[in-house]
Amino acid sequence: MRFEIALFNNNAHIQKQAVNEVLKYNDLTSHFGLELTEKQAIALVETRIFALKENGRIEFGGGVIDKLIYKFCDSPYIWANNYEQILHDLIETFYYYKNETLDLISDDDLINYMKTAFDGVCQGSLELLSGRELDRLAHNMRYGYAPNYMQDEEDEDGEY
Amino acid sequence: MENIEKFSRIDRLKLNEEHYFQSLLEQAYLIGLLSEDELEKIQFDCLAILARRAEQYNNGDSSSIQVEAAQNILTSIMFTVGLYLKTCDCPDDAIDALRKEKLETLYLYGRKQIDKMLNITKLLQGRIINDLIDTPNIFYGSTIADGINGFFKLYRQDFSAHEIHITADYPTYHEVCGLVGIEFIKQYLENIYCENSFCNHFTADCIHHLLCGYHEDYQNLLINLFEPIFITALGCVIAHADVSNLKLSFADIDYLTRIFKGASNEKTELILQSALDELRKLFSLPAYTLRYMKKGLPKIISVIENAIVLNTMDRVFLISKYPENTPVLSFSFGDKMDDELYRKIIDEIMQSQDTSTKIKIIKENIYSFADLEDILLDANLSAEDVNAVLHELTPTEIVALIKKHPMLQEIELYNLRESEVLLCNYLNDFLIALPPQQQIWIKKAAKAIDLID
Repeated sequence: MRFEIALFNNNAHIQKQAVNEVLKYNDLTSHFGLELTEKQAIALVETRIFALKENGRIEFGGGVIDKLIYKFCDSPYIWANNYEQILHDLIETFYYYKNETLDLISDDDLINYMKTAFDGVCQGSLELLSGRELDRLAHNMRYGYAPNYMQDEEDEDGEY
Repeated sequence: MENIEKFSRIDRLKLNEEHYFQSLLEQAYLIGLLSEDELEKIQFDCLAILARRAEQYNNGDSSSIQVEAAQNILTSIMFTVGLYLKTCDCPDDAIDALRKEKLETLYLYGRKQIDKMLNITKLLQGRIINDLIDTPNIFYGSTIADGINGFFKLYRQDFSAHEIHITADYPTYHEVCGLVGIEFIKQYLENIYCENSFCNHFTADCIHHLLCGYHEDYQNLLINLFEPIFITALGCVIAHADVSNLKLSFADIDYLTRIFKGASNEKTELILQSALDELRKLFSLPAYTLRYMKKGLPKIISVIENAIVLNTMDRVFLISKYPENTPVLSFSFGDKMDDELYRKIIDEIMQSQDTSTKIKIIKENIYSFADLEDILLDANLSAEDVNAVLHELTPTEIVALIKKHPMLQEIELYNLRESEVLLCNYLNDFLIALPPQQQIWIKKAAKAIDLID
């Protein structure tokens, strides 16, 4: 008798519910000129399922797509053309760093950190966000430092 | 009649003790007691409980958890539900309970059951610790006190109720099989309690000497202490020896061998059974201890059967040994001479050309064994010189030197000075050259001798 916890990730009813919740956020994001079609929402939910599977995680309840949309919709670096793609990348990055931070940081704190870094030092660059800022966050969490702790990483020329 | 039919629908023996809930569902599905829809509903109810537990696990901070953690919590949930279902009169009643009650309710009943078992187990451990056998065996006390305390500290009923966390090194006479979590620990301690309630009829000295008969270094052995005590007590009753002191003699062992030789299994069982009955009367053993001991009889029968074939009855029924009565040889190395004088002698030996002159100097100037040892190490003597010196020594002195400079493993030699390694090698060469009987005698004496520096 096998009890498949993966049922949670692949359950059609839960997926449909997730798509509807994503679409509901169009009312809010339309103020920023951002909207998702149903097809795009389905693709985002699929990305979430893929990311969960890739990172060996299982999600109960609402999920983080809604939270990411809510937090990032007012970013100056997101516009209609790149909105969907950025959300795909953010979802994958989020779950990857949940593992990398050993679950020591809550969903809300991680999203806040991502938003601050994305709009701030990364200036809209997802590469800098995941390759430098979140990497440092994960390192800090693993070694017991504060999330924003900066090690002296610059060499004599002032370069990384 | 109706009851018998109801009882026989799910075979209790086919259910797995460790994964009771899963095996119950499987069997119920196989014989048609549960439909596929009902099974799916139970599965989703389990996952709903998992979702709530996972939220509690994350302190509500995270909507997702790692699959391994979720799987662990799910196993814990199923274990908890299974623990309650085991309390139902029969498996069919358990299926009825699954139909009538919500799974969440059954889970809560299971949690209460775990809490109850945890309290009982803590009380039991307290009682056992108060009546521990007074033994130097390191695994016995450390497992029952420290190990089980470690379990109580690490046990998390909500998220890993099925885990033991500790290794419970000390083996009980009857192995605890197929149980996990608190069920395992409870059964383990119950076994220990039964064993102790019998062993505590004997004095600590008596147990110590009996176990020395098993192995003098039993303190460091991972063995069950009850087994030799129980079997020897049975042997004492059969051989009409002193049971209260567990004293068997070689003559008793011969008697036991004669009794069991050629006896059928049934006859052996009968003899053991009546000896056990005698023990019960003698020590007024409680029913649970008697049941525990009775369960061990088939094991003892096969052990006796093998011992008859191998002629090792004295390893089954033990004869007490008294290591404190073994004579101890003491050897003193004596006082060392004045350093100035020692340096002069060393110089003289080193300047001598031939072995006989060196021997002569040693004989004339060295009066203590401590100085002789220093000379062997410091005077840069050749193999031939050392061999000549060794030939001048008495066997006891050779034994003392071998005890002080035993042949070590290659890796251990790295801790020694070069001169010490050389001396070890010379001593070993000297020993190998001796007749085999003498070699055995020297090795035996080296074990027994006690050096005084």
